[in-house]
Amino acid sequence: MNAFSRREFKLVPESALHEDVWVPSSCALCYGTCSILAHRSDGTVIKIEGNPDSAVGKGRLCGKGVSGIMTHYDPNRLRYPMRRTNPKKGLYEDPGWKRISWTEALDEIAEVLRKVRADDPRKLVVQRTTTVTASRVPLHAFATAFGTPNFSVSGGGQHCGNGAHLISGIMHASWSVVPDFEYCNYAIFFGASKGHSAGHASCSNMGKAADARVRGMKMVVVDPLCNFAAAKATEWVPLRVGTDAALALGMCNVIVNEIGVFDGPYLQAKTNAPYLIGPDKLYVRHPESKIPLVWDATTGSARPFNEVPAANVALEGEFTVDGVACHPAFHCLREHLRKFSPAWAERVSDVPAATVRRLAKEFATEARIGSTIVVDGVTLPYRPVAAIAFRGAQGHKNSLYNFYAIDLLNHLVGAADVVGGCLGFNPTSHGHPETGKVRYIPAAGPDGLMVVGSWMGYHYPYPPAEPRLPKNLGLQDLFVVGMTSPFLDSTDREEMWEKFDVPYRPEVMINFGANLVMSIANKDAVAESLSKYKFIVSFDLFLTETSNFVDIVLPDCSYLQSLDARSNFPFIFSLPGGLGEWCWPIRQPVLQPDGEQRQFAEVLLNLADRVGFRADLNAAYNAWLDLQPPYRLMGDNRYSYEDISDRELKNNFGEQRGLDWFKQNGIIKWKKKPEEVYWRPFVDVRVPIYWEFLKPIGEKIATIAGPRGLKIPLEYYDPLPNFLPCRSHCCNKVGFDFYGFYYRDVVHTNSFTMENPWLDEAARLDPFSYAIAMNRAEAGKRGFADGQKVWVESESGRRVKGRLKLTEGIHPEGLGFAAMCGHWTDGQPVAKGKGVFYNDLLDLDWEHASPVNINLDLCVKVRITPAEDAP
Amino acid sequence: MNIRWDAVVNPAAVEARRLPPSLPQSAIDGNGNCIRVRVQLFGALAALSRQQSVELTLPAGVTIADVIAILGDRLGEAFTTHVIDARGTKHRHCRLFVAGYPIEDVQTPLTLTMELTEIDVILLIAPEGG
Repeated sequence: MNAFSRREFKLVPESALHEDVWVPSSCALCYGTCSILAHRSDGTVIKIEGNPDSAVGKGRLCGKGVSGIMTHYDPNRLRYPMRRTNPKKGLYEDPGWKRISWTEALDEIAEVLRKVRADDPRKLVVQRTTTVTASRVPLHAFATAFGTPNFSVSGGGQHCGNGAHLISGIMHASWSVVPDFEYCNYAIFFGASKGHSAGHASCSNMGKAADARVRGMKMVVVDPLCNFAAAKATEWVPLRVGTDAALALGMCNVIVNEIGVFDGPYLQAKTNAPYLIGPDKLYVRHPESKIPLVWDATTGSARPFNEVPAANVALEGEFTVDGVACHPAFHCLREHLRKFSPAWAERVSDVPAATVRRLAKEFATEARIGSTIVVDGVTLPYRPVAAIAFRGAQGHKNSLYNFYAIDLLNHLVGAADVVGGCLGFNPTSHGHPETGKVRYIPAAGPDGLMVVGSWMGYHYPYPPAEPRLPKNLGLQDLFVVGMTSPFLDSTDREEMWEKFDVPYRPEVMINFGANLVMSIANKDAVAESLSKYKFIVSFDLFLTETSNFVDIVLPDCSYLQSLDARSNFPFIFSLPGGLGEWCWPIRQPVLQPDGEQRQFAEVLLNLADRVGFRADLNAAYNAWLDLQPPYRLMGDNRYSYEDISDRELKNNFGEQRGLDWFKQNGIIKWKKKPEEVYWRPFVDVRVPIYWEFLKPIGEKIATIAGPRGLKIPLEYYDPLPNFLPCRSHCCNKVGFDFYGFYYRDVVHTNSFTMENPWLDEAARLDPFSYAIAMNRAEAGKRGFADGQKVWVESESGRRVKGRLKLTEGIHPEGLGFAAMCGHWTDGQPVAKGKGVFYNDLLDLDWEHASPVNINLDLCVKVRITPAEDAP
Repeated sequence: MNIRWDAVVNPAAVEARRLPPSLPQSAIDGNGNCIRVRVQLFGALAALSRQQSVELTLPAGVTIADVIAILGDRLGEAFTTHVIDARGTKHRHCRLFVAGYPIEDVQTPLTLTMELTEIDVILLIAPEGG
């Protein structure tokens, strides 16, 4: 008998021989942060699917999400800390990486931080990628505790937020907007892909949008490119790049002046439309209380807005108050809109005047102004139309007015946060039924205008702060309408800092996952900026192009190895809007760190201990997480990130639902109430259809900046929206006939995912992902062929090379680039050499930034010339 | 029929405002006349003020605004301008906790108790730049 005969063994049950579990967690391949189930077998994740129990995705997962396994197991992942040996930093300098221990790394970093904190803590810049939403609190808390106001989100914000989030915040108390897919019958998307590719609540919205299409919702997509949304739309309306405001203003004019349809009761009760405007374009105010006045039509007198029943206020007419002629804001708007005729809109946007009229008529008619509907037993206003905008309308110098004009469409017909209309993502929460947390509701602020109930930070969009001589490197304390800033890295940053006597310069950077060299504008500008830092430490999964400027690189855990107690909070960011469920998922480690990888949040706690500001960091976590007794972090106690996560969960959901409970259950959810989703009628706040506050802000900024040699163009601060051209619209150089722009690809997230081999394969199979989209007829006229290699050159002489993909699905003047490709680092061999690096065409300076929200202009007038075949 | 927005629903039927926080009482001295508080400053505010902790004995009936004014006198105008605006409203990015509970309205009075009350003040990042 064989010595190893089965009879000689006590058989182990098969269930104990191997592990086979599905672990609930959260994706991090994009900031959509959909809920996932990771299938772990014998210590290896073999599959990732959507979590059907969660409201965030409802079991759906996009191509990026299911491919996350390949990012995690990439053999090029960093596994131990490294220090550069080559002191010379440059785009193509080899840093000469040398492996070091964590002790060496942390000792050196702590020493640098200790010195700079003692000198001037503002010399530290903390930067993060927006891809991992949950990185916000640990990094904000660290910067807060350290004492620096200088925080950067790399290209995020500049590329997607200063217009979009500002207007969504002021008008909808949310980070973004989306159609109420359950009830909307007619949606117009201006350069937005909500429900069709990446982005906020992406997988949830994809399901909702698909259901809406089946239900019969008509969807019009306005975009230079017949993109992922347009491909599924009822109608694609191509327009000239960056002219969204012109089309929207033309439509607004048709609605109020040609058709004469608008929701008067909404405008009276929920906006500043009745506020009287004087000849100085400012509110006419009560002489003592300074409250804005309205005209009371029943008494024939001017009275404070909050003393007159909404039904009695005048929306139109000329009135005299204390001898001064004035008009309601709506009257001013209506007159202002008259100049935006459909013919004018056609000249600017290239959308035929007849189409402008038709779209306006369809939108206004379908709004069904005055109708109501019963939802869950509650009678609510019903306006089944929505005008949505995002990255396309956002990426321009004129982004503020683009968004303002587009959102006016919703407000003219009362389709704002009501059934079927344009919804903010969860602006109102009454909290969990058992604890009442997390609770937030928009409230009336100065002049009765809405202040958000929840935000991504403490830079609330309204009321704007008072402009002052800036102390922040981004100058946002001067340009108070802006949120993110180009001036940390712009080519004229030193000139700007000198102009405004900024008393210090950046010296040290902590970077989390951002590849700044590729993510904001041209690489040379960013390289010059980064090379000025004395010390940069970076948490990364891979070496990136930015690593060439880093002194110490730290190997971060992937999302499958990380813990985050609030992967989808704030709810205004990436929890699906509309009816359904509130849902609070966590991210939890499915796998152990490989090699010496450590999660960045834990490392930051360690650094605070070493530098000696743990008490500040505990206080900062208390403030950011709103921890209250008995869950507050006390003194300088050394809590782990697990401890902090546990306390946050118990703080919000009760002692019995701490981290252990969430690890087991993955999520907690509860039903949304109609008065939360369709909150607008229930909350006594108004929103501005007339941005009176802009004018004095502009004048104050001009007063500060003018004497220092910076002219502020005040047309950007007019209270009513206009079409203001981008630099590209003013370029008359011979041969520069195309507007270059980039768009989000469904298979890639910014510059992050090109290293993922599955996504790379999908992108190579897609004829557009790594190519430059050009109108086929225009190409024919100029002798360009499909697949031909070309140089694309900007007005300022920057150029990139790529391969043309000809298509009928792009505006004749447009040149479309997918995603943010064109990596050249050896640290990402799969990504290297794929696609086109569009951002390299972008200039980074004041001239290319909005003077109002300091948004970078992302469209470029270009010319195309044939290139040789060599790569 | 165009139903009025403000007639469709009754806002009063739905709780639509934040509940005011219930503040714990503050400390009184042995005679029961004064309130004793310890104000802890964190992050940039501590660096700015060159002080992390300040203990104050205050007359009964003081508000948070009074505490800020007294600290402003001691620590300088820069402290005050970082905490409140010209109208006396607390900056949103300045968070203030009394005995661990957040306070938004600086006119909130401190009330009496036998124990020392901790007041935490911290400046958060206002905007995300870059």
